[in-house]
Amino acid sequence: MKDSTQSLDRIQRALEGLLSPEEHDAFKADVIQDAELRAAYVEQVWLHSTLRANSESLIGLLEEKEEPTPVKTTRRWPVAMWSAAAAACITLTSTVFVFGKTTTVSRPVATLVQAENCRWAGSDLPTSVDSKLGTGRLALVEGIATLKFKSGATVTMEAPTTLEILTAMHCRLIEGTVTAEVPVPAHGFTIDTPDIQVVDLGTKFGVTAGSTGNSQVRVFEGEVEIGGLADGKLKRLTEGKGLHVGSGNTSLGQEPTRGEPIQEAGGWTAIPTSYGKGKDGYARRGDNGAPLGTHPLIIVKHTDLAPGAKNERRAIITFDLSQVHTPSINEAQIVLDPEPSGYGFSALVPDESRFAIYGLADETQDTWNEKEMHWSTMPGCNDDGPNADQVRKLAEFWIPRGGSGGPLTIRGEALADFIRQDSNGLVSFLIVRETGETDPSGMAHAFASKEHPTGRCPTLRLK
Amino acid sequence: MASNQPDSTDQTEAYLRLLTQHDRWLATYVYSLVSSAADADDILQEVKVTLWKQFPKFEPGTNFRAWARTIATNQILNYRRSEKKRSTSSSLDEAFIEAVAAEIDHRAESLDHKAEALQLCLRKLPEAHRKIIVWRYYEDCGVEEIATKSERTVDAVYRLLSRIRQVLSDCVTRQIAHPSTP
Repeated sequence: MKDSTQSLDRIQRALEGLLSPEEHDAFKADVIQDAELRAAYVEQVWLHSTLRANSESLIGLLEEKEEPTPVKTTRRWPVAMWSAAAAACITLTSTVFVFGKTTTVSRPVATLVQAENCRWAGSDLPTSVDSKLGTGRLALVEGIATLKFKSGATVTMEAPTTLEILTAMHCRLIEGTVTAEVPVPAHGFTIDTPDIQVVDLGTKFGVTAGSTGNSQVRVFEGEVEIGGLADGKLKRLTEGKGLHVGSGNTSLGQEPTRGEPIQEAGGWTAIPTSYGKGKDGYARRGDNGAPLGTHPLIIVKHTDLAPGAKNERRAIITFDLSQVHTPSINEAQIVLDPEPSGYGFSALVPDESRFAIYGLADETQDTWNEKEMHWSTMPGCNDDGPNADQVRKLAEFWIPRGGSGGPLTIRGEALADFIRQDSNGLVSFLIVRETGETDPSGMAHAFASKEHPTGRCPTLRLK
Repeated sequence: MASNQPDSTDQTEAYLRLLTQHDRWLATYVYSLVSSAADADDILQEVKVTLWKQFPKFEPGTNFRAWARTIATNQILNYRRSEKKRSTSSSLDEAFIEAVAAEIDHRAESLDHKAEALQLCLRKLPEAHRKIIVWRYYEDCGVEEIATKSERTVDAVYRLLSRIRQVLSDCVTRQIAHPSTP
């Protein structure tokens, strides 16, 4: 080593990535040949790497006073915690007092590694690909985004989803759907929902939380432990198993505020299902929980799996047109607001799902009752699907995996024509999904109904 | 989980115990051989998965660090080889990694002691210097970010960081030589 000051400077520059590629190559060649430089480099790089590897404990440095007196024993680094519970409790944003001033520090715990066709809203974290993410909230409106946590866990968000990142081992699903892949070293990775806590035990799993208080877990591989259940017990779920929890904090059956037709720009009149004799609801094969006419969501699902599967769901919406002169309608649109259903995973349905809207031609059935409708009494349907003698197919629409990114508008001449033929002041439409699923835990699509606390209820726009 | 992985609960527990005990050391080792922070974290994850897969071959009671060191070094070399764009300098990179790995191997015991002494030496730093260390290593800030935060020039921050690391290095060396002196 010719000049130790110069060598040290090269080492420090190499550690900070400040050498040009040529200088760095020359440095490497010298380290290989020069034993003294190599020894000095290893001393420095080990120190540098020790600080990086122990970065989590460094925050404690700002809370301590300078060490004025010698301490005789060398202290070990705090023993790394390996229990899930302990790992989940590490707080990564700390506020500390330095010389009377407050310094807030936040360190990255995850990276946004992939974002397909994403649109974000109200996020307090950066949302460009390769962004380093600290503690904070991500709200995905449209698309599919993948986060890689420093613990090694990979979490994929499917829009619409809001996720709060807490630590490299812990996040909170406010609403929506995520799937997580957790390698053994990240054992203990935890996802909270408003209803439950899911602790990974080495696995691949999905969690979904509905906007109206229900959560579902599905284990694709391995095992998870569920906490936070009403009975206070922990429950283990193994591969292929699922669990659905309703927290009861839904506003089921609440009487919604009645809406009024709204005159909009461009000559449009918007009529919500909450107006007059309007109504909306859905039915599920098997009638579990029926009648579902006053649920905050209208949910649709279709399965090609076992015939008679109980998770088939169809919706119906009825608008009150008593104040509208229907024969003079030129254009018509149906607006639906997608909401997370809390049921199923879009990873288990094809890339895009097709839906159909049918008009109820048999007007005697327009008087269906939200509080009485069951699967067998759903207007215009038999067990297999819409009954061709009583309904007319008016339109199809598609929702890509990762969501539509906001309200959907369905339009077409067939829709306007159907409304012009109305004779009783009520028009009803069936909404069905035509795309099946590849697994019984496939996603159920949902839209806000007039009972939904925040979403926009189904609306018919006419002009 | 893939079928070639150990599946008994005892094995998993034994592995997690050892990994926990040597977790920070393993990270230090990988960081020392991989300069890119992003690559290093990915490789570290892969190393842990490989250690887990190979764990049935580990003989309980033998030196876990020596065993893990060999696996980690191979994994780092494989990672380098898989990066095609680096083909021009890959032989230099490999020779560099092997040379540094051998040097760490050779000095393993003293480096471990120094890592332990570092905690004490950090506490002796003046408050302002601890703050730089927290920015650099806890918040993962680069020299330029620290320059902005501390209203210094980039060059001044670089020189300050170098000096702090040198002070720490001298301190740990003294601690090892004379553990009882301040």
